[in-house]
Amino acid sequence: MSIEIESKDVDVRKIMSEIRERIAEKKRGLYTDEEIREIAERKLEAVLETRQFNPDFLKDFKTKTEVWNYAFNPETIYKTSRGGVGGLLGTIRNFLKPVQKLFWNPTPMIAALSRQSDLNLYTVQMLHNLTLELTRLNLEVQELRARLQQTEANLEELKKRERALESLAVLKEQPKSTS
Amino acid sequence: MTGRLKLGFVVQRYGAEIAGGAEYHCRLIAELLRDHAEVDVFTTCALDYVEWKNHYPEGEAILGGVRVLRFPVARQRDILRFAALSEALQSARHTAADEEAWMDEQGPYSPALRDHVLRVADEGRYDAIIFFSYRYWTTFRTLRGSRTPALLAPTAEDDGLYRLPLFRPAFEAATQFVFNSVEERLMLEGALGRPLPGEIVGVGSALPASMDESAFRKRHGILGPFLLYVGRIDLNKGCPELFDHFLRYRQETGSSLSLVLIGRAVLPIPEDPAVRAIGFVDDAEKWNALSACMALAIPSKLESLSMVTLEAFWAERPVVANAYCAVLRGQCRRSGGGLYYANYDEFRGILETLEADAPLRARMGRAGHAYFEKNYAWPVILEKYLRLIAAAREAKAA
Repeated sequence: MSIEIESKDVDVRKIMSEIRERIAEKKRGLYTDEEIREIAERKLEAVLETRQFNPDFLKDFKTKTEVWNYAFNPETIYKTSRGGVGGLLGTIRNFLKPVQKLFWNPTPMIAALSRQSDLNLYTVQMLHNLTLELTRLNLEVQELRARLQQTEANLEELKKRERALESLAVLKEQPKSTS
Repeated sequence: MTGRLKLGFVVQRYGAEIAGGAEYHCRLIAELLRDHAEVDVFTTCALDYVEWKNHYPEGEAILGGVRVLRFPVARQRDILRFAALSEALQSARHTAADEEAWMDEQGPYSPALRDHVLRVADEGRYDAIIFFSYRYWTTFRTLRGSRTPALLAPTAEDDGLYRLPLFRPAFEAATQFVFNSVEERLMLEGALGRPLPGEIVGVGSALPASMDESAFRKRHGILGPFLLYVGRIDLNKGCPELFDHFLRYRQETGSSLSLVLIGRAVLPIPEDPAVRAIGFVDDAEKWNALSACMALAIPSKLESLSMVTLEAFWAERPVVANAYCAVLRGQCRRSGGGLYYANYDEFRGILETLEADAPLRARMGRAGHAYFEKNYAWPVILEKYLRLIAAAREAKAA
């Protein structure tokens, strides 16, 4: 055969093995919890953008709880935001509490709203954790897919090598001639 | 027979419009040998390779100084029937009759061509007949034991077809084999269970006197580095995977690399500003594109040689090849002019390496060029063909 076996100037096998090492290294060391969180957030942002949500929504969602949720306790409905006058108004409301209870019972409503406020917090926390877990699983699937492809490629190469070795064995038995 | 050699070529299609594949390979070799021999080409009137519709006029024509004899295709290929017959071959229980029926549908079915070639081969009118592509009707029905030495350029791909018992008589009838690669030789010798007489030859290329990178960029408005694809933009060539990998690479790395596609598209091209399809271009423009690109991508899993890979080597551009194609993987290793990927991560790793390392690109380019000059320069190819023809004549005479 007049075709040379392998290049002496550029060692392609070495370059490929360096590239594969870098990939393996990246897979081993990559994806700390922080990175997973970053990826998860990036994906969520992408979804929100494509559906044309308010771009500040996600930021507010994560940092300003008071914008999207409310703090609620049994006294919340009697509070007022009117400063000094508000204090007097609050005292009167407290004083009239027994009277208003003659007309309706606010306790179930207060309990429901308090519980809803807590549920909102739990839901957000759960969605956040689910997103993280989904991202983690997605990355794992990607890695497994890559490993499967790599294994298939190795298997294919081994098959080829087997065939080549088989034919070499035949060649050894019978001297080859070009004419 | 004395004096000037007389050679015949058998190939499924032949024409100036056919710019790739085994047909172009055949034309380059016929034109190479015309200065050393009287050359006749026996082919069909087909241009279209799907249904083999008659396109060229029947009879004699001269192309590139070579006499071409065209014979009509008597029956076009029925694609649905061909698909069904191909499916039948997948079954382990298929019969010899199934294989024969598949071959007749494969085509191009030209009894007139068959009768002519069998007659001239039996009469010994030629010093040798060179057959291109083992898988087509034209070679299969005409490559039989005769008085004339027969050279077969199988142009076999690793699709397993060559293992069909159907092809054994044709392979046995070849006096010498003209292999495209080490891998093709090993593959066929493995399948036939014996060493095959012949040499690894391949083909050269119509090399340009000069290449103009800036003219190409100016004409097509392409700025910045780009990955080039040349060939039919087709599923079978691995283009969808190339598009996916490339767009993902851009998205993940923020690379400014773009993808430029040359060739006829038979599938939708992603609508992305980073992907530019410029359609079919002439040879000169193809060389200009090769000189302008950062690297050439060859995503096909089935290649028996890939002439454009060799052209990229000559143009000193690294090749990014599909690792599932043993021939391409072997060519990359032997030349030092290319890298190969088996999955997206490796594709990304290769592009990151090439983008970041200009000295490596230059070194690979030089290695590829030297490999081309050593193995695929026309004087090397010519010498091998003349040696093979002499060996075939000697073997036939013995």
